Formats: sequence, C-alpha cells, structure tokens
Amino acid sequence: MSDARSGLKLAIISESPADEAAIKVLVEAVLRERATWLTPTLRARGWPSVAQVLPAVIRHLHFNTDADGVVVVVDSDDSVVHTPAHDAPGYFHPHCRICQLRAVYRQTTKKLPAARGRDRVLRAVGVAVPAVEGWYLCGRDERVTEAAWTSGQETGVMPYTRGELKWRVYGTDRPSLAHEIKCALEEVARHRRDTRRLEHDFPGFASLANDLRSWRRQID
Amino acid sequence: MIASVAFRNFKALRNAHLELAPFNLVIGPNGSGKTSLIQALMRLRLLSRLPLREPVSAGERDIADGPEVTFRFTPPYDTSEAVISCVSDVQCDLLQVDPLGNDWPGLRGRLQSMRSYIFDHHAIAAHAPEREGAELTANGGNLAAVLLTLREREPESLAKLRAELIRILPEYTDLVCARETDGQIGVHLLLADGAGVIPAENASQGTLYLLAILALAFDPTPPALVCIEEIDRGFHPRFLREVRDLLYQLSHPDGFGLKRAPVQVIATTHSPYLLDLFRDHPEEVVISEKQGTAATFSRLVDRTDVKELLEDGSLGDMWFTGILGGVPEEKHE
Repeated sequence: MSDARSGLKLAIISESPADEAAIKVLVEAVLRERATWLTPTLRARGWPSVAQVLPAVIRHLHFNTDADGVVVVVDSDDSVVHTPAHDAPGYFHPHCRICQLRAVYRQTTKKLPAARGRDRVLRAVGVAVPAVEGWYLCGRDERVTEAAWTSGQETGVMPYTRGELKWRVYGTDRPSLAHEIKCALEEVARHRRDTRRLEHDFPGFASLANDLRSWRRQID
Repeated sequence: MIASVAFRNFKALRNAHLELAPFNLVIGPNGSGKTSLIQALMRLRLLSRLPLREPVSAGERDIADGPEVTFRFTPPYDTSEAVISCVSDVQCDLLQVDPLGNDWPGLRGRLQSMRSYIFDHHAIAAHAPEREGAELTANGGNLAAVLLTLREREPESLAKLRAELIRILPEYTDLVCARETDGQIGVHLLLADGAGVIPAENASQGTLYLLAILALAFDPTPPALVCIEEIDRGFHPRFLREVRDLLYQLSHPDGFGLKRAPVQVIATTHSPYLLDLFRDHPEEVVISEKQGTAATFSRLVDRTDVKELLEDGSLGDMWFTGILGGVPEEKHE
C-alpha cells in the first residue's frame, strides 16, 4: 500500500469517532491505497437517523464538496440481515438496512444534475452484524460471524448479545471514547493487509468492499 | 450509597418513589422534581451533620401529612432507614435514623461527603484564594485553587487531568495554575503551536465546564455521591460522549483501571443527544413526570416495551416525541 494519498476524496457517515477511525483503515485496506478524508467528519445518531440524514448528506457532498464517494456503515442491531437474494435486480427488502440505504441513495441521486465535474457522488454501504464490534472480533474469535448471528435469528437462540461483543472487545461495558478508538484500531490492524477473512465471515462488510472496488471502474 | 428515596408532599413530589442506581441520568420537563430530588439529598447531608433528634411520633407533630422524605441505603448500610420530616410548617429539620446502630458514624460520614453542583462559568473562571482548594464548591468557583492543591498533593492526578483535557480539546497544550497580581490563584490554558495563553476568564463556557468536570473525575478522594444539574450545558453535542465518559469514570472507576470506591452519580439533562448515549444502559435513565402539580419518577428500564423502543430509534428522538414521557404538559382548549 502506498503512503501517498490517492485521488479519491471520501466522506464517512459514522456513529462515533471510534467507528470512523476503524472504518477508514478498512476502506483503505480494500482500496489498497490511502484516501483523502473529508472534514469536518459526518456523524449520525444511529439508526434510523442515518437513513433520515443521508439524502441531505448526499446533496451536500454533491454540490458543496469535491468528494468522490461516501461510505456509510451502520449496525444491523436486530434487523433483517442482507443476503445475496436481496441483490437480485429490482429486489428490495423493506427491513434490510443495506437495501434501505441503497434505496435512499438511488432516490436521492436520480434527479441530481452533474456538479463539480462528476455525475454523482459514489456510495459504499456496509452493515455490521449485529454491531461493528463483530467486525473487530473477526480473526480473534471464530464463533463471531454473521452466519452465527443469522442462524441465531432463525432458531431464536442468539449466540451472543451486542453487549457481550462490546465486553469482549473493550473489556468493559462502559468504555471511554479514547479506549474505544484504541481497541478499534488494534483490532482492525489484523485486516490492514488482507480483508478476505473479514469479507468471508461478514458479508455485510463484503458488500461494502464490493462497492468500494467498483468505484475505480466507475471513475476510470 | 443511596438505594432509594421516597417522597411524600415534598414540593411537587407528592407521592413519588425512586430506586437509585450507581449512575442516574434524570430527564423530564421543568418543574418535574429533578432539582427537588437533589435538594432532598442535600438536606439529608445537611441534617446528618447535626445531632440526631429524638424520634417524634406522628401524633406529636403540629401538622398532618407534612413533607417527608425516606431514604434507604445500599450495603453495608442497607438495614438503616433515614427519614426527614417536618414537625411544623416552619420546622422541617427532623432527621430520624432507624435503627440507629453502630454503623451510623460510617453512614453519617458518607452522607456528609455527598455533593451537588450547578456549574457557573463566571465563577469557575474567577481567581480563588489558595486556601480554598480542598474541594470543588457547588458552582465550581474555586477551581483554580482546587487544581493548585491537586498539583501540590497529587501531581499524578493533575497530569492525568491535563492529558485528558488536551486529548479532548487538542487546541490546548497545557494547563497552568499561577498566582495572579491580586494574590489569588488563576487558571491559564496554553494554546497549541505557541499561539498564546488564554486566561480562564477568556475561555469558552464549555471549556470551563469541562475543566470543572475533569476536576471532579480526577479527584483522588471524591465524594460518595455527586449530583450535577444540566450536565450537558455549554457542550457541543459531539462532546457529550466525553462528558458521559468522565461521569462513568466516577461511577465505574474499575472500568477505567482506577482503584477507588465508586461515586454514585445523579445528573440531570434536557439534551436528547446526551440521552442517546444511554441506549446500552437504559437502566440508568430516570424519567420525571409532571401531571398537574404532582411529579413522579419512573425508570426507563421498567417499561415493558423498552426492548422494542430501543430497536425503533434513538432515545433522544423518542423522548422528544413524548413516547417516553418526561415532556412538558400542554394546555389544550
């Protein structure tokens, strides 16, 4: 990975500075290049606030900035988890957060005129199942996977709770922000050079990675 | 420390009961009893300093159904009950402890260390006499002296406080307490990149409130219980996470690697953004309600639909809509 900042200028909508710090590392790992990050950073107050503010964010990025793309990552919580069937042309699951965020983006950009030399700001959407701490534990605890969670949803016997995941990552259920950032960066460092394990265990991350990889084709 | 408080005819709290947790965020409309809760605790603190009165039976009192506040405690004081009541309309200073056992001196010491704060940025910025640095006063008015005392007696604690300040507000590189021309102690903040020195009186309100909360969080011998009103005041919504973390440092020191007794925290707020930060701990949220002139308390976690509420959206938005209660009454024609 080159240390030189790439031509890609990106924005992230996240729920906290800790999520933001970790997602930046993961995005650059997938792109295999450094990005330039838009400031001030964009923050949302969790679901459904993300979906509510996304249209305004997209329009702002489109008209007022030279951002190439926007990265949106949310926790799935207890919502319906995205599956390959949802990717079928014209399909939309009303309770899947990836489907909902993609639909918001589609609706918002449909009638936007070109601005700042591009047709639209690109989007990459990921959903952490059930929370971003699941991603952090990938490669450290093989019992924590998206499949384990969806299996739990089907059987009604959940393999773990979001609180337990937080405890495993932070060692406390009331981590300070500084501690959260430190732990998040330590955990995602495992995936800095190779994100295949994370993509395999967490298809919600693979969706994000696929979106990001498609950007080069769309820009070039 | 305090396990529960029960109110009878105490201001707007006509018939209210509240179980207290190690950390309590109290939300609700103006006049719904948030401040009355804190006043009751501070009255308990005040009366615990005095010699206890002999028990006065209800029949001996001049007024019937006068104000009464009953406190129960967490272990090791869980067998005791303290009751503040009124003998007459003008005399409301009767504290009775039952049973009055050998543990009263210990409990009394804990009660007397309870503190309540309503920070005032003008007071926080003011110079303070050096001799007044033992503990932070109710409005934060002796902050400079407190920081100086910390520097002299617990330099490691001050170093941690300073590091936390710089992490949260990276525009600063240091915090200095110095004797001013008036002979009192003042606080100065050094700007990054050598851009200058900001005396406390020129610092922002939020910076001053943060300094006061830092002084509490890094107090090596903190009070047994801390009440802070309008904890969100002066802070940008994105800073509220840091404020919450500092309060958690008080109430859950073990989670922060600190080896000292936990401080029970009661904080009030009107900020939906701060409430959002308690999604993972709804058991810490207390909702105060006002119906007519009577106020009551309830805990968010006691709602049967709390799980569904937490799945449906941010707590702050839910509160504003009125779903959680704790909103002002509106007069309809």
